[in-house]
Amino acid sequence: MITTAEAIALVKTRIGVDGPEVTATVEAGHVRRFVEAIGDPNPRWDTEAPPTFLVAIAPVTVHLSDAEVYGKGWLNGGNRFEYFAPVMIGDQVTAKGRVVDVYDKPGSTGNLLFIIFETDYSNQRGELVARLRGTMIRR
Amino acid sequence: MRVGEEIPELIKHPTARQLVKYAGAQGDFYEIHYDQEYARSVGLPGVILHGLLKAAFLGQLVTDWIGDGATLKTFEVSYRGIDLPGHPFHCRGKVTRIDGKNVELEVWGEDEDGKRTTVGNATVELS
Repeated sequence: MITTAEAIALVKTRIGVDGPEVTATVEAGHVRRFVEAIGDPNPRWDTEAPPTFLVAIAPVTVHLSDAEVYGKGWLNGGNRFEYFAPVMIGDQVTAKGRVVDVYDKPGSTGNLLFIIFETDYSNQRGELVARLRGTMIRR
Repeated sequence: MRVGEEIPELIKHPTARQLVKYAGAQGDFYEIHYDQEYARSVGLPGVILHGLLKAAFLGQLVTDWIGDGATLKTFEVSYRGIDLPGHPFHCRGKVTRIDGKNVELEVWGEDEDGKRTTVGNATVELS
């Protein structure tokens, strides 16, 4: 088992380095399955993606796989979305993310590894449409 | 509208089926959300709701309230406790600041005992 210090050192090498880009079209059928899954019948989502849909474009842990050598599971600590332009059905969205910080804290069952990441989402016109900042925890 | 005003509550009734549908729609196939045995093996009481599903519920609370013309500017959610399918999830919120067309809200999700398992805030720009 890798130590906390080794895990932190490993993830720290990713700080500020953009991970692989993921590009996907915001498909009507995908948005429909998403809003059915969350149970939100708002007709606004016939043409526009609902606020948290962006996480379905690329897994939020896509840039964090290095950390999986530590601990036995992920916890989601929180998510903060900042929106700059609407995401419409038919848009082509590119997600590009990076680790911005990593640290550990003692938890009730051992050390927890906190990884703060940021993902920028831009559309086919190159406009930044949203930024997600999240805290993922390895325990 | 005034500061301190509560917005209409949204009560969701998540089921195990919904977790599976959400796992597929989001593409999050982490086993703690659909495999009871796996969830228990990592110390959970059973399968739990995805944090981001709870965020989606609170997003619905806000977008239902603001209506079509308004724009969500920021939306932040922190997960403080776990929630299990088969139990109601109460989405609530209140107005904390009004500055012209910009309105800030505190939002939170409560379990059936009134415990806030999920807390957050949102900023909206009214039309």
